[in-house]
Amino acid sequence: MSYKLPDEKDLDAMIGIVGKDYATNNKAITASYLSKSVMGLEAQIPDIVVRPKYIEEIRKILLYCSAEKIAVSPISGGLSGGFACPTIKPAGVMLDLGRMNRIIEVDTDNRYVVVEPGVTIGELWAYMHKNYPEWAPPVPDGAPPASTVMGDAIDRGFSLYTSSVGPQGDNFMCGEIVFPNGDIVRTGSWALPFAKPFYKYGLGPDIWSFLMGSQGALGVMTKVAVKIYPHPKFKTVVVWGMSNPEDMQDLTLEIGKQEFGIAHNTVMVQGGNYPLVMTRWPKDKIPHDYEFYEQLGISKWWMNWECWAQTQEELDYVVNRINKMAEDFKKNRAKDPDSIKPQELHPKQIASRLKKPNKIAVPYSFWEAGFLFITFYTPWNECAHFAKMYTAAMEKYGFPPVMWIASIERCRQAICMPIICFDSTKQSDIEKVQEMNRETTEYALKQGWLNYRPDPYIHAPLTYSQAGMYWKYLRTMKKIFDPNMIMHPGRLALP
Amino acid sequence: MAKTGMERLKELEKEIYKCIHCKACRFAYSGEPSREGIGEFTGKQGTVLYEGMVDACPAGIEYGWEAFWNAGKIWIARSILSGDLEFSDEVRDVIMPCITCGQCSAQCENKIPTVDIIESLRAACVEAGVPMIEKHQLVDRLVKELNNPYGGKAEDRFKWAKDAGLGKYINNKNAKVGYYVGCTASYRQIEVAIATAKIFEQLGVDFTLIEEEVCCGSPFFRVGAVDTAQELMRKNLEAFKNLDTVYFSCAGCYRTITIDYPKWMAEGEKLPFKTMHAFELVSKLITEGQIKFKPNKELKGKVVTYHDPCHTGRHFALEMEQEMIKNSKNLMFDMRKVNKAIDAWFEIPRVILRKLEEDVGIKFVEMYRIKNNSMCCGAGGGVRAGYPDFSLRTASLRCDEANAVKADILTTECPFCWRNLSDANDLYNHGMQVMGVLEMISKYNLLDTANLK
Ligand SMILES: Cc1cc2nc3c(=O)[nH]c(=O)nc-3n(C[C@H](O)[C@H](O)[C@H](O)COP(=O)(O)OP(=O)(O)OC[C@H]3O[C@@H](n4cnc5c(N)ncnc54)[C@H](O)[C@@H]3O)c2cc1C
Ligand code: SF4
Ligand code: SF4
Repeated sequence: MSYKLPDEKDLDAMIGIVGKDYATNNKAITASYLSKSVMGLEAQIPDIVVRPKYIEEIRKILLYCSAEKIAVSPISGGLSGGFACPTIKPAGVMLDLGRMNRIIEVDTDNRYVVVEPGVTIGELWAYMHKNYPEWAPPVPDGAPPASTVMGDAIDRGFSLYTSSVGPQGDNFMCGEIVFPNGDIVRTGSWALPFAKPFYKYGLGPDIWSFLMGSQGALGVMTKVAVKIYPHPKFKTVVVWGMSNPEDMQDLTLEIGKQEFGIAHNTVMVQGGNYPLVMTRWPKDKIPHDYEFYEQLGISKWWMNWECWAQTQEELDYVVNRINKMAEDFKKNRAKDPDSIKPQELHPKQIASRLKKPNKIAVPYSFWEAGFLFITFYTPWNECAHFAKMYTAAMEKYGFPPVMWIASIERCRQAICMPIICFDSTKQSDIEKVQEMNRETTEYALKQGWLNYRPDPYIHAPLTYSQAGMYWKYLRTMKKIFDPNMIMHPGRLALP
Repeated sequence: MAKTGMERLKELEKEIYKCIHCKACRFAYSGEPSREGIGEFTGKQGTVLYEGMVDACPAGIEYGWEAFWNAGKIWIARSILSGDLEFSDEVRDVIMPCITCGQCSAQCENKIPTVDIIESLRAACVEAGVPMIEKHQLVDRLVKELNNPYGGKAEDRFKWAKDAGLGKYINNKNAKVGYYVGCTASYRQIEVAIATAKIFEQLGVDFTLIEEEVCCGSPFFRVGAVDTAQELMRKNLEAFKNLDTVYFSCAGCYRTITIDYPKWMAEGEKLPFKTMHAFELVSKLITEGQIKFKPNKELKGKVVTYHDPCHTGRHFALEMEQEMIKNSKNLMFDMRKVNKAIDAWFEIPRVILRKLEEDVGIKFVEMYRIKNNSMCCGAGGGVRAGYPDFSLRTASLRCDEANAVKADILTTECPFCWRNLSDANDLYNHGMQVMGVLEMISKYNLLDTANLK
């Protein structure tokens, strides 16, 4: 597939649509959008950046670019790092949707909030906290405050409620999408002119779900209705430590199966290993031996249950049940019973873990200079296997074995996220990361594990090569909305 | 010259490559979205919700494009280092309108020294032959000719002292303590210079004004004219070399001589004197019980707020942090000490304000964004000279924040902040009085030195 390198005439066309203050090919400005981090290490500088404000502007931009065969990469917050940038050259137009930043409606009976793409999770959190303190949106728990609800929808990420209520994609009720063929489609109940966004699977088959995980490769989403949930005052965090990922997996699964019970109170169930603590500090300014962390009371592996309840009584019940189940597991079924112990948290530690959104995942660059999240989905009862395989690979390639694992939908699935901390100033380190990425992806695919935010060069091609029929239909359907394949080409290896 | 901008930029390569483009640096309180605030306030520059995190990068707020927020600039620096981008007028025009306020650096969990990076980038840009913007060229010419960027005559530098009857302190040979006045207080905000000198006199400090004093070089370090800046640095180091301690009343000069000079001096060279801001001295004497304030009818009941100048506040805090990180063997433990030291640093001016509340009867209220999260006044980084409209709008945004807490008097401790806030206060009708803290003490004759030892 070949694309046009946009020229001055194309810039003029963009200026004609959005005005001269909001379209540019200024080289310093286009370079400033670059990111080779977080999720993707390969990215290109866009040729033109456009900052539309209205849906009609987006429609005109897409129609123009489609006719001219100019690639278009949309971003809401741009916090998915390399994934927010174009993948190919000529890179074409980047659509920065940050100016579309209205919080349009909050409905606490039907429990949704309607937002535009540029609404950041920090802004939405503060707005809800101030105006609707009893309700909270499902913001991605670890994503920094400048990320957006929309971006997380498209990435169908992992939010603060995911462990309890299910995948983030399920939290989005209805959406409004502009396709490059010029159509504006409203999904779910919103497809009817006067309907509220109260039902996701509106008029038969659901188009919105088709866009979940699309990474901008199908159309531009301009509005989304996202569920809100209660934000009760009674909260705490329970932590149990252990020596190995198998005990972590099995104990967590037992608690996760307590559905219609305590499992629904555990909004965030996430854990990992001690290098998760270590690599948030500079490599040469922190002890590497486990003994140091042991003295601090940090187990080799642990699991956090963040519990929310409507009353103190309910919260106490949840905490007691988790503790009792953990004691029972330790006594009767654990692989290494002696290592299983509760981790007492200082109230300040609890408060810091309850803080949303936070910057907890930002300092992994502090270790050296750069990091990459590589994220897989596995059935929950295979996450220990994944963790062992991946930490061994990281050690083989000379990276600290940092592993974060969280439950989705009460341990039906696991999100497993190794964090690769490396020195991005060194080409040799980047090559090592990619070699390891390829080796582990091949292994993972053989186990039937999914890469949930696939990168365009390793994950997507390897995955689709094993799912030819699915890929064929994805392409066929993309052609309907995006006949000239201009949307974020390469991002999902779709063109 | 000790170092080129490009050399500094390359030294900072690893710091630049730490940036993950997470954009947390655009907000004050970026880690505290649930922070209780003071609600929504509509001021002269629009409506701001002072709750949780709040946009606080003046350049990003003004220009909007990613390149103007800090993260964009860090990725521009990376593109320059990787060869994806070359220096040009376009690069200059996005890296110059930044106030180098450092609020971005204070937010970054990867502890990236953003101001160092931006300043090195500017210096490398100038070295690459990209002309400075005209207004910066003008001040560069002026300082080369007259040793100050305001066009004042060298012989008028201490006219304020002579006029105020403080002439005896000029080249006071016996004194081991100097007062570095700086260009803004010498040629523009002479109230600050007079107030400071009078307070020294009341406190019995035997000080000297050094006739050879020249501009500290702050604007030139900030805009990348590091040759000019280093020439001025050499002159000042020579002029002040025989003193034990040098006091300051200007945040910018204090920061430049204390923090910048050692960075640009030759390997192994050290500042020949100790440095201290006048408010540190006053604060210390209050804590020691040596001074207090007299009641004042005119000030009683007045709502007073305080603007932390970036140069005395955040820049010192960040420098402390970088130093402690550099020297730490176990940062997980030492970070607590770093945070404690930073808290203590920001308390210093507040000791004075609380004492004023106790003794004089003012009502001291804090704005929403304070200390490390303080919003800049808009004057620094060469912005007041180069981009006056943007500079004043930023100052007005800060005045809005003071209006939001119903301040009658907006105080600060830097003549440059004073100037900009005061101009915005007049231009946009914010209706407050803008005053230096020491100026207030001197103007209302508040100092009670009965217990001074
Ligand atoms: C330190 C850190 C921690 C993180 N932790 C989490 C976490 O805990 N949970 C989690 O889920 N994620 C996490 N993330 C990932 C990411 O930040 C979030 O998923 C975020 O919500 C993405 O939002 P965004 O607006 O920044 O997306 P963007 O980067 O703007 O976009 C994401 C993708 O969607 C496409 N896209 C964006 N907007 C549109 C649109 N309107 N229409 C069509 N396509 C569009 C883009 O092209 C891109 O491929 C983390 C990221 C960082 C840097
Ligand atoms: S400078 Fe720090 S806070 Fe800002 S984007 Fe980079 S890593 Fe994030
Ligand atoms: S130094 Fe201040 S103005 Fe410059 S990028 Fe950082 S926050 Fe913005």
